[in-house]
Amino acid sequence: MIPAPTPKIDPTKTHLVKEYKHDSPLLGCRFDPSGRFVFAGAQDNHVVRWDLESSKKTLLTDHKSWVRAMAFAAKKKLLFSGDYNGRILAWSVDAEEPKPTHNIEAHRGWVRAVTVSPDGHMLASCGNDQLVKLWSVPDGKLIRELVGHACHVYNVVFHPDGKHLISADLKGIVKVWDVTKGEAERELDAKLLYKYDPSFRADIGGVRSMACSADGSFLACAGITNVSNAFAGVGNPLIVLFDYKSGQQKQQLRPKTPWQGTAWGVVMHPAGFIAGVGGGNGGMLWFWKADNAQDFFGLQLPNNARDLDLHSDGRRLAVAFFDGAVRTYSLVK
Amino acid sequence: MLPYLVLLRLRFVWVLLILFPAGVFAGDPLHQRIDQAIAAAKPDFARLAASSASDAEFVRRIYLDLTGSIPTADETRAFLKDPSLDKRPALIDRLLNSAEHARHFGTVLDVMLMERLPDKYVPHAPWLAYLRESAAENKPWDQLVREILSSDGADPRNRPTAKFYLERQAEPNLLTRDISRLFLGTNLQCCQCHDHPRIDDYKQAHYYGLFAFLNRSSLVVDKKLNMAVVSEKADGEVSFQSVFDPAKVTKRTGPRLPEGPPLKEPAVEKGKEYVVVPAADTRAVPRFSRRALLGPTLARPDNEQFKRNIANRLWAMMMGRGLIHPLDLDHSANLPSHPALLKLLAEDIAARKFDMRSFLRELALSQTYQRSSEQSSAGNEAEPTNYTVALLKPLTPEQLAWSLMQATGLTDIERAEWSKKLPAKAAAYTGSIHTPFGMAVVALFMETNNKEVTLYARLSPHVAPFVKAFGSLPGQAQEFDARLDQALFLANGPTVRSWLAPRPGNLIDRLARLTNTDALAEELYLSVLTRLPSAEERKEVADFLAARSNDRSMALQDMAWALLASAEFRFNH
Amino acid sequence: MWCSYSCGSSEHSLSRRGFLAGALGGALGTLVSDPFSRPAFTRELNKQQKRVLMIWLHGGVSQLESWDPKPGTKTGGPFLAIPTSVPGIHICELLPYTARIMHHLALVRGLNTAEDDHGKGAYIMHTGRRQEPAMKWPHLGSVCAKLLGEAKNPLPGYILITPHGNGGVNNEDAAFLGPRFASVSLSDGHAPANLDRPAALTETADYKRHEFRMLANQRFLRSRRTAQTEAYTNSYDQAAQLMRKRDLFDISKEPPLVVDRYGRHDFGRHCLMARRLLEGGATFVKVMHSNYDTHHENFDFHIEQLGEFDRPFASLIDDLHDRGLLSSTLVLVVSEFGRTPNINRLYGRDHWSKAWSIALAGCGIKGGSASGKTNAEGTAVTDRQVNGGHLFHTYLSALGFNSKKNFYIEQRPIPIADPKAAPITEVLA
Repeated sequence: MIPAPTPKIDPTKTHLVKEYKHDSPLLGCRFDPSGRFVFAGAQDNHVVRWDLESSKKTLLTDHKSWVRAMAFAAKKKLLFSGDYNGRILAWSVDAEEPKPTHNIEAHRGWVRAVTVSPDGHMLASCGNDQLVKLWSVPDGKLIRELVGHACHVYNVVFHPDGKHLISADLKGIVKVWDVTKGEAERELDAKLLYKYDPSFRADIGGVRSMACSADGSFLACAGITNVSNAFAGVGNPLIVLFDYKSGQQKQQLRPKTPWQGTAWGVVMHPAGFIAGVGGGNGGMLWFWKADNAQDFFGLQLPNNARDLDLHSDGRRLAVAFFDGAVRTYSLVK
Repeated sequence: MLPYLVLLRLRFVWVLLILFPAGVFAGDPLHQRIDQAIAAAKPDFARLAASSASDAEFVRRIYLDLTGSIPTADETRAFLKDPSLDKRPALIDRLLNSAEHARHFGTVLDVMLMERLPDKYVPHAPWLAYLRESAAENKPWDQLVREILSSDGADPRNRPTAKFYLERQAEPNLLTRDISRLFLGTNLQCCQCHDHPRIDDYKQAHYYGLFAFLNRSSLVVDKKLNMAVVSEKADGEVSFQSVFDPAKVTKRTGPRLPEGPPLKEPAVEKGKEYVVVPAADTRAVPRFSRRALLGPTLARPDNEQFKRNIANRLWAMMMGRGLIHPLDLDHSANLPSHPALLKLLAEDIAARKFDMRSFLRELALSQTYQRSSEQSSAGNEAEPTNYTVALLKPLTPEQLAWSLMQATGLTDIERAEWSKKLPAKAAAYTGSIHTPFGMAVVALFMETNNKEVTLYARLSPHVAPFVKAFGSLPGQAQEFDARLDQALFLANGPTVRSWLAPRPGNLIDRLARLTNTDALAEELYLSVLTRLPSAEERKEVADFLAARSNDRSMALQDMAWALLASAEFRFNH
Repeated sequence: MWCSYSCGSSEHSLSRRGFLAGALGGALGTLVSDPFSRPAFTRELNKQQKRVLMIWLHGGVSQLESWDPKPGTKTGGPFLAIPTSVPGIHICELLPYTARIMHHLALVRGLNTAEDDHGKGAYIMHTGRRQEPAMKWPHLGSVCAKLLGEAKNPLPGYILITPHGNGGVNNEDAAFLGPRFASVSLSDGHAPANLDRPAALTETADYKRHEFRMLANQRFLRSRRTAQTEAYTNSYDQAAQLMRKRDLFDISKEPPLVVDRYGRHDFGRHCLMARRLLEGGATFVKVMHSNYDTHHENFDFHIEQLGEFDRPFASLIDDLHDRGLLSSTLVLVVSEFGRTPNINRLYGRDHWSKAWSIALAGCGIKGGSASGKTNAEGTAVTDRQVNGGHLFHTYLSALGFNSKKNFYIEQRPIPIADPKAAPITEVLA
């Protein structure tokens, strides 16, 4: 038999596939590594699991606060979800009625992000206590604390080399840590994603989403820039793309058509493009190539987007929305 | 420039005024009848009354009241030296006909009418220019009021006159309150909801009678004109009920003055009610305007309250207290201190067709005005309402600013710039203007009046910080208040301090050039306090300087500051 | 309008007996008579000077992230409620230090001010009245400066510490009470304008020039003394006294540990200055904390702002208590309004006046009490609804005044507080 031709990934053909609806605004979303489910954290403190195929919806109900941080240990089929009460819960991804298997009192204040190491042994988390922490996946024990940020730590990802952890904070300081030594090796500058608003007298910004390319050569940090009014969220989405090796900014990715809001999600596709979503005055999905600051394709979304994830098949995106829906989009015609 | 043109246009009027300085009336002149009435009201008046003010007291007082600033040292010197018997009336006339008077009186009218409301719809400058020009041409009060109450702001030629309505957002309740206060001397505010609970004369019907002139009017931002104007509908009747009335009886009224007859309103043919029909963002103009009738109905010589109010307000401006006090509580339970005198003044000002300048002249000529502010020993029993002694008047923020600029020599420096261009003899002339030469000088000064406007324009920005520190609240009459932030402003603030720093031609510079301590004391006291120093004071000056021989310039500034900060300077006495 | 229903006429049973005596504010030339100038009142007040501290959370703090949390509901947001030193009263987890001093605080949770505009809401919360076209009401600060302030006190009666803006006198705050009682702004905690002697002027020279001024006054006033001249000459004495109190405005006089406890950010420094001023005899101090107008990122901003607020506020209450001043200092924590239970698409909360909360403490306040309730999602008041008028009555009552009295302006009676409202007795000691 001649195998059917593999459909070509073409972001300019991106279209809505399916809508999974919850009755509370969503904060974040993740596909599980097996590709069967999409998980989302909601403003009603629930984590929601949908079976992509059947749309069957299951509620994970043990959090007492909002969940935006989610990551998976693929081999162990575990979901780690971190909430705004400082707690990380571990769940069996495909249990019929999921119950937490671990309960980690991880941070004082919000857990802003979690990530699992490429080998699946380590969980990293970060939060409002200005700390980054490493945990053992099998038993949920603390391995070490990474101290150095001077404000809320907004995001954390492992570098594909498994030896480095990258964390980023409210003020756009990005730190690259040596995982074994627990020391910060160097700093990258994403301060464009932060501002102190002098009339509002408050900080605004932060690295709202972060992604590393599969080959480890690029790092993307997403957020808001050019804030002229922190009260109202008047500013523009920006994704700062770094050359990981040199630590230099490679590109400042912006919408071609000026837009107001925050870039809430960024993913790096193995095919070499970058996708990002924005929420502000409605929602947008953009696609960039690393060599061009302007997107090569933008798709208007039905509502404020709040997070973005890429399916393990590389053909689907999940977007979490303010209107309570996760919508999946196909990158294939 | 507009002010210049106006001043040229007014030259003819001025000359007439110079030739015929005051109206002549039957019987004794008003100023004598004032003195008779004041003396008659208090038994033993002659014994209690203070003596006539000294020339120095008089010259400072009349300059402040008529021009809003103290005189220059030279003007004072000349006046004190002048041996002529008619020098006081002559000075009164000269000042009343000066550009400075027009400017000052314009400001007095502004503060009275606008009460420092923010300039939201009509800029301050053209409004002030309108008032200054009105004062310069001695526009009768009734005419001024009619002009102010007739403009809706749409005609660019008289837009400034609409300021009275516009800055009050043409809000009928606010206007009713302020028109009753400022033009009738009766504060009817409490009558909005019921007859005044304690003032029997003030009725709710009075309030709504006035209100009915205005209830159809409102502020509209006209799209076509691109500015805020007063719009008026052709319908809308006024009804009211007292909140005290358990039966809640509803009464109705058309436009009418308090105690006045109902206004006859013409019947307008149906469908033809409007010249400009009401529409969104458009000024509506009715064929019959109630508001247009307010001025002609109110500003009339047979309107008792209208006459009493302006007579009383001008009296208060000159004498330091209204015969009716407060100025807007004229009613039978708050009688004037001198009822017969107020009646006389009200009749008189109407009889002279609301000519305010000649009225002020009579007030200034009276012995009552020209009495000393120093109490005689017998005068200790005196009440302020007896006028046995001249009352101290705190300088208004504007008077304080201009007087400080004059005293420190800032004004002199500016004035020196343009007086260079006048023939020396004319510039130095301070004698009577009722001589051919005097008239020629006046004519010359009129030629240079535009320079006075320039002088004003250059110096007036300095007034703002004083208004900020000493001014009353928007929407309230100017009241005296002495606060420590004001004291700190005068004592440590940069404004006065910078004026005291030596600069060619200013006070400290002039003093520093005088080696003779006596001459220095004279110059200092004449410049700041408008009088010669006493022997005691000359010695104090000498002692102060002797102790500070190593920093004489600073010592001079400190001494000048002390006099500027003295009560003698702060008050018009 | 200002006199409806309350003209003090016999028809309205609001007696003005005894209040016209002494009448027109005399020496100060103001036309407002002081209803509390009767000797009985004065004696009572002199026993212990009373003060007011107003903390103004500018922009409108969220009641849900502070005094009336609704965790686990659709509107509750991500924060949890924490127990406090008062059993049964929970507040938002963003206020852990405040929770420990809850026994000093009283909460009013049934506030409905029905005004969602910043300016108009602020007006209600400062004056206890809604705006009216022809009437301006004085701020609580001005009223307190008038009623509590002593003429001899050189400190301004109503001090406003702002994070930015211009210093100076805000004349309009005092309305008919007159600019003497207007607030004086200390921008970023800087001392009042012109308080420093000019650099070129030595202390001796300053003394000498004042001596010369007084000499001149003596001569002039020998035969011309009036209430106004007295007030004018006194104003220089008051200015000199205030210059001597210069240090009150200088928090560098505090030990570093204390500065740390309050925090080195603006609000911490300003709270510390407020304490110094209150200790130094200030009558009314308003500290403004900016900004809570969180239409966007309500939660991140409340972490930051309340994170700044919590500890210095608790330190200030503790310090006042330790110094024995709390029982004579009325403390209010207020805003122009609260924020919507609904969380908008920008994670923001918008303006909301229908069901929100404030906190009180100190003089005349029943510590550990709470008045009013809102429904489960905080969208409506379900018990003991009150408005700005009730608050104004409550403040005055807490300070020991009968809030139903009148001011008299030119013989017109002006009710000090809205006659349609009354004190919230549940929170009064």
